Amino acid sequence: MATNAVRAQVGAKWQESFARLNRGEPGITGLMAFSEAWTLVTEFLRPRDITDPTPPKQYNMQQVRAAFDIINKCRRLPVMLEVFLDDMRKCQHLITREVEAHMTLYETTPDPDTIRKLVFRLVEWYNAWLPIRERVTPVLGPTIISAYTLAFQTHLFSVLPPTFAGGIKSLVAASLVHVASQPAGPPDMTLWAAFETLSLIDRYETLIASVGYEFIESYVLETCAGKWTEPMLATLRTWMVDRVVPWMILPYARGATNADEAKSMMQGVGSRFDFHLHKTLCDLRSREIFDIIVDFPESVGALQDLKECLQRVDQRAELVQALRRANKKRLLHPGADTKDILTQYVSTIKCLRIVDPPGVLLFKVADPIRRYLRDRPDTIRCIVASLVGDGESGDSLVDESEPILPLQQPEMENYSDPEWTPEPIDAGPDFRANKSSDVISTIVSIYDSKDLFVKELQVLLAQRLLVVKDGNFDRERRNIEILKIRFGEPALQVCEVMLRDMTDSRRIDQHVQSQNATIMHPTIISRHFWPALESSDIIMPGQFQALQERYAKEFSVFKPDKVLRWLPHLGRVHLELELDDRKIDADVPPLEAAFIELFSDKDVWTVDDLISRVGSVSRSAALKALATWVDMHVLKEDDENVFRLLSVAEEPGTRHVPKPAEELPSIVSVQQQQAEQMRVYWKFIEGMLTNLGQLGLDRIQTMLKFAPGYDQTIEQLGNFMEAARREGLVTVKDGMWKLGR
Amino acid sequence: MDQITSALAPPRAAPKAAVSGTPSEMPGSVTKRLSNELMTLMMSSSPGISAFPKSDANLFEWVGTIEGPAATIYAGLAFRISISFPSNYPYTAPTIKFETPCYHPNVDIVGGAICLDILQDKWSAVYSVQTVLLSLQSLLGEPNNASPLNPDAAGLWNSPEAFKIQLMKHYRPLTDAST
Repeated sequence: MATNAVRAQVGAKWQESFARLNRGEPGITGLMAFSEAWTLVTEFLRPRDITDPTPPKQYNMQQVRAAFDIINKCRRLPVMLEVFLDDMRKCQHLITREVEAHMTLYETTPDPDTIRKLVFRLVEWYNAWLPIRERVTPVLGPTIISAYTLAFQTHLFSVLPPTFAGGIKSLVAASLVHVASQPAGPPDMTLWAAFETLSLIDRYETLIASVGYEFIESYVLETCAGKWTEPMLATLRTWMVDRVVPWMILPYARGATNADEAKSMMQGVGSRFDFHLHKTLCDLRSREIFDIIVDFPESVGALQDLKECLQRVDQRAELVQALRRANKKRLLHPGADTKDILTQYVSTIKCLRIVDPPGVLLFKVADPIRRYLRDRPDTIRCIVASLVGDGESGDSLVDESEPILPLQQPEMENYSDPEWTPEPIDAGPDFRANKSSDVISTIVSIYDSKDLFVKELQVLLAQRLLVVKDGNFDRERRNIEILKIRFGEPALQVCEVMLRDMTDSRRIDQHVQSQNATIMHPTIISRHFWPALESSDIIMPGQFQALQERYAKEFSVFKPDKVLRWLPHLGRVHLELELDDRKIDADVPPLEAAFIELFSDKDVWTVDDLISRVGSVSRSAALKALATWVDMHVLKEDDENVFRLLSVAEEPGTRHVPKPAEELPSIVSVQQQQAEQMRVYWKFIEGMLTNLGQLGLDRIQTMLKFAPGYDQTIEQLGNFMEAARREGLVTVKDGMWKLGR
Repeated sequence: MDQITSALAPPRAAPKAAVSGTPSEMPGSVTKRLSNELMTLMMSSSPGISAFPKSDANLFEWVGTIEGPAATIYAGLAFRISISFPSNYPYTAPTIKFETPCYHPNVDIVGGAICLDILQDKWSAVYSVQTVLLSLQSLLGEPNNASPLNPDAAGLWNSPEAFKIQLMKHYRPLTDAST
């Protein structure tokens, strides 16, 4: 149905195409030449199976180039490219096969070398199929190559299984290890060139970076974990430069022509790696912080690292969290000794001062410790004991070299100080900078007032003074002088009196001895100034009684205005026992002495009889005293609670040295004293309510100043009255208190 | 210069302020003695007698309470008294008066004055608030009818029922109103 016009048009087209292909050659020779050239080029370009053992056909490059020219002149190159890519697609199964073969092998034995082989093999395929090589005219080169590369990679990436990523990662890691272990050796450029050819670097960039991160991480953990004595950061940085940077050049500075260019190309990734190094170390030290503090001062290096890391990496909150968690888990529980908690607290103070001089971290970490310590009953005792350097263990909280300073009160900020700086940004609202205060001030400030300390100090001093037997109080005197500097002189006046009592006792004793020599040497203390000593109702029998009376008489001559009240249970008695067959020397508490003296009257006693002779002592105390003699083979328990004197040793030769049953004199603790105080206050409250009728809390508070030593706040009084109300002792109405009737 | 030195001096007087409020001419030893007596009295827990300073500002004015001893006609009654210490206490006896009207041979029913030898010529510095209160308590049960301040009461003493009627007529129970 074609009309003439259509026919003419088709004819014209045909003529035009013909003319183009024939290029004005005579006849159809041009067309023939084109056809030949096309066949040659297509054959030349056709992707071949490189596994095919037959050697590739050799081409006359002259001819091939001429053929390309012809096609180019006929403007048929794009069509040819299409055909070539089509051919390539038909051969893609070869690549798929290759990938599958390698990956199957890799999946059964994950060896990065398999991946390495695969990568090189793929490069081989790529090169084998590369259409235009340097031999061919490069007119359309770039376009064709990019089209080819795109097609090749698209297919390649589509057939690579997910395990390939893992493979690449381990391969990269292996290369990193290789480079890092021999940084001087020539870097393995070929692998990276292969990656580049297949543009695997761009595709797996994050993967490669993560290899770097993990490598840094494992190295830091391996070299730094548990090593706290030396700062590690400098070493780590050198390591980065020496070992990691040579590797980083390969993926990140590829194509750099000179060192400067390489440097600028690596700047971004370099600082990321550097940050990661700091962060890893910071995390590690945060995890270890509790043990680092335990090891202080051997762990100063780690603390300096931590300080530097924290400036680079903002992990302060994490550090606080980690330390608080560790403290809670490992320190602040009933199983921990108060002394240990205090020691750790002091170390924490010292450590965090190194890490964070303004003290914000310390403030945040210390808060739970301080609160916990405040709730412990023996904290004060522990602190005081360490203040006076108790015990010969030497691990006192206070550094001997630290200068002794008076206790410091928190100061108001001096804003006119030119050195003033604002509080750090993460300081909480109740943060108080205690810039210069020493460790002791910090510890004492756990409690609101230092009075508690002074009271506990008296108790402790009393205990120590009473066990000193040789009259050498230099140590205690020295301690008191030190404490005077800390707490101020007035607070320690009572302690002064106690010390004086000790020296006075010796003087008085010398006088009494000169008048009427006796074997008894009492320590005479002023009841008013000493902490309450537990009294006992032992009545010393026999010669002890006589000795006491004689001494008291002599004393009343010397000091007529004073009366001696004996506390016999606090003494020590040196005894010489003369038995039928042996003599025994013993240094024992008075109760033991009293008992053994009773045995000189008769040989067999029951426990109850013994107790009835010495006034009232508890049965357990009596049994303990008797056990001392049983241990020394002086007494024997024949029947239960019946003791017999062994005038003749029954088991000669098995006598062993008695263990010293020494105990600290029982002194009423501060808490008991407080309870005692409250009892006194209650008497006063009772007295005023009886006589003055109902009173308001304010009035009771002001009236209570008649009670000696009253130091409670009105809140404490309120609590106390509330407790009394619950017990039905008082009632309250409209804020007026009156006695419950 | 004085200011500087006084500023440097530690505030030594501060603890003494605990018993401040006493007139300055009063010697400190009297307040000390009274404080000690108060402490002794508070801690003694003698049944039925009690006393306490009227206000925190003045240690020389006390209020006391005496309960009638059991097995006497005054059993179950409580009497309020006022105690006023002289500035030279304890060399002079304190002045003690019944605030609650007390129908008693040795007590003035109107003014509350008491006729007791140890409060007058027999006073001695070894007596204390506690001993005086104990004496007063025993006086309730054992009046000295030889020197009555209230002759009516002395006359009725031997007829307990009539005496009790008079006693209860004058007696006013203690109130809780704050003084």
